[in-house]
Amino acid sequence: MSVTVEFLSVFPDLRGGKRTFSVKPAALGKIMDQLEDRIPGLKEKLVNQEGEIHPAYVVILTRGEVQKLLKDVACQVKDGDEIIVLPVISGG
Amino acid sequence: MYGYHGKILKVDLTQRKIYEETFDEEFAKKYIGGAGFGFRWLYDTLPAKTDPLSPENKLIFATGPLCSISFLGSTGISVATKSPLTGLIADSDMRGRMGGALKATGYDALILEGKSSEPVYLQVTEHAVDIIEAKELWRKDIKETQEKILSKINDGKTVVASIGIAGENLVKYAAIASDLRNFAGRGGTGAVMGSKNLKAIVIRGKLKTPVADAERIKTLIKEVNYLIKTDGSCDTLSKYGTWNTIGPANFKGILPTKNFQKTTFEYIDKIDGDAMLNSIWVGKRTCPGCAIGCRHVVKIEKPYSVSPDLEGPQYESVAALGPLLFNADPVTIAKANELCNLYGMDTISTGVIISFVMECIDRGVLTEDDLGFNLKWGEGEGILRAIETIAHREGIGDILAEGVKFASKKIGKGSENWAMCVKGSEVPMHDPRGKKGMGLAYATALKGADHESSMHDEAFERENVLPDLGLKESMSRKQFGGKPFLVKTLQDYWGIMSDVLTICKFPMIPPRPLTPARLVKLLNLVTGWNFTIEEFLKTGERIFNLGRLFAAREGISRSDDTLPRRFAEVLSEGGSAGENFDQDNLQKMLDEYYHLRGWDNEGKPYPETLKKLGLEVD
Repeated sequence: MSVTVEFLSVFPDLRGGKRTFSVKPAALGKIMDQLEDRIPGLKEKLVNQEGEIHPAYVVILTRGEVQKLLKDVACQVKDGDEIIVLPVISGG
Repeated sequence: MYGYHGKILKVDLTQRKIYEETFDEEFAKKYIGGAGFGFRWLYDTLPAKTDPLSPENKLIFATGPLCSISFLGSTGISVATKSPLTGLIADSDMRGRMGGALKATGYDALILEGKSSEPVYLQVTEHAVDIIEAKELWRKDIKETQEKILSKINDGKTVVASIGIAGENLVKYAAIASDLRNFAGRGGTGAVMGSKNLKAIVIRGKLKTPVADAERIKTLIKEVNYLIKTDGSCDTLSKYGTWNTIGPANFKGILPTKNFQKTTFEYIDKIDGDAMLNSIWVGKRTCPGCAIGCRHVVKIEKPYSVSPDLEGPQYESVAALGPLLFNADPVTIAKANELCNLYGMDTISTGVIISFVMECIDRGVLTEDDLGFNLKWGEGEGILRAIETIAHREGIGDILAEGVKFASKKIGKGSENWAMCVKGSEVPMHDPRGKKGMGLAYATALKGADHESSMHDEAFERENVLPDLGLKESMSRKQFGGKPFLVKTLQDYWGIMSDVLTICKFPMIPPRPLTPARLVKLLNLVTGWNFTIEEFLKTGERIFNLGRLFAAREGISRSDDTLPRRFAEVLSEGGSAGENFDQDNLQKMLDEYYHLRGWDNEGKPYPETLKKLGLEVD
């Protein structure tokens, strides 16, 4: 029972160079709590006081071929899901 | 006037005539500066069908009122001319210090015309303007040129802008560089400078430009800088620079790979943001007055030497010299970028041309014998050799130096099908099949395919992103609906007005803190005016329409507002699998876009649209 969380070009200093983390399925808020133990300071950067994702970032859940944006900490994440965290903005 | 001197420096290189003209506040309020000035002067003085490389073409360096201060790169400059690549206006936004330096000589703009009979450079100070013989600088690359000039001055304040060998050789996508690292990259401004036998422009000044409310400007700058440092919106840009886009672009399936044949790259882990930071990155630089600092310093010793004195590759260059060519080697990417910088060539156009040739070889339309060297997907030596060949116009390089549109016509055999350009401008590194607004922006941009003409779709997948501009509803990057209004609004605001104000585009992208309200407030504090956001937007619309009138006069119409055929093909893999950009949807978008703009069915502004915008034309 696990969920993979991958960080794409975000928080390199916090995560110490590691890109991918494995956590237990739960609501996104609980997943953030699990990650916070291994990436101290992450939650403060990624989630605001209202429990919404910071507008500078995007959290995308991938389930099979389906992708959807996760907008707040209440979103449920299931076994086998993948979560990608990336910056909202692109453009060179 | 606050924020202006009201003076233009004009130099006729044929007659070696140097003179000044003035403009009044009414003109300044209407066109503000930078690209606004450039568009107006080009429209008024260049008859239709003027040869861009003839002495009649103008090369315009124009400042904006924000060049009077130093904030978020506002000391940059707009370079405008008729593009030899597209025949349209090339308005290239050059960051760095040149705008501030020109302002400090007492001029708001420099207009060059004519052609010197021999190589020269121009020196401008607040005391004198001189045309100086430059034979010893000819055939020198950009680094050698600028170092040689500065060795005689060395005061730390002089700004030198120059062309390299590509500009001398009239490569149609040659660039101009200032302070080695700031490029007017797109559209061939460097070729126009080369056609005038002008190797460099040297600027040194100490004059201050009066501003209306210096104290409140300081307060506003402090407020924005505080937000940049604390609100988290600029953190990844500050850490990764534009490399923050590489991995995400691949994930979303919009990273052009193998000449746009696909949009995901198998070896992305070797060149994404983390990989670049861990391989070739040694530090970062900032533009004047910028609290973000997104520019890369790279240093490599083996197998190629890459100097930290020049600019490291930004996202567009990494993508164009990397995945587009199926190249997964950060060292080769950095070296190719350095060569383009030294010769003074746009990296986007260069990458697209080389990938076009690689596909020609794949399809048997060209052979390596035709080239005289080996050129295979992902092989660094061939890529570097191809750049040399183009810069020097050797062999087939003479054709490739003309741009992909020309090259595909010359080579024929169906190669037009994989010549990735719009109106002759090579397509930047964002596949529009995965971001439909960008596709419409490419099709309608004033200078051909341009990724900086409109903000990118991803920023608008939330609600209330830019409510001041009427952009409140969220929309998927993949949807067509709603995009005509989005693109029209953002072309007028972000695409045009940042180039008019010569300020960096990046801090304007939401959720970053340089909001429309703050930007308009800053303009008012510098000039003493009372612009509203609506008037500010209307100014952008006025200038955009002027650019469209210029294009229409050159023969551009609806059939030119299009995309390469390849984008109608459905993507089969990656984050944009199943997506395409077909002609039916493009035509529907154009209908709505033209209607919103007040243009006729062929894309020409109606007279009442021009009247509403206060745009007087012949």
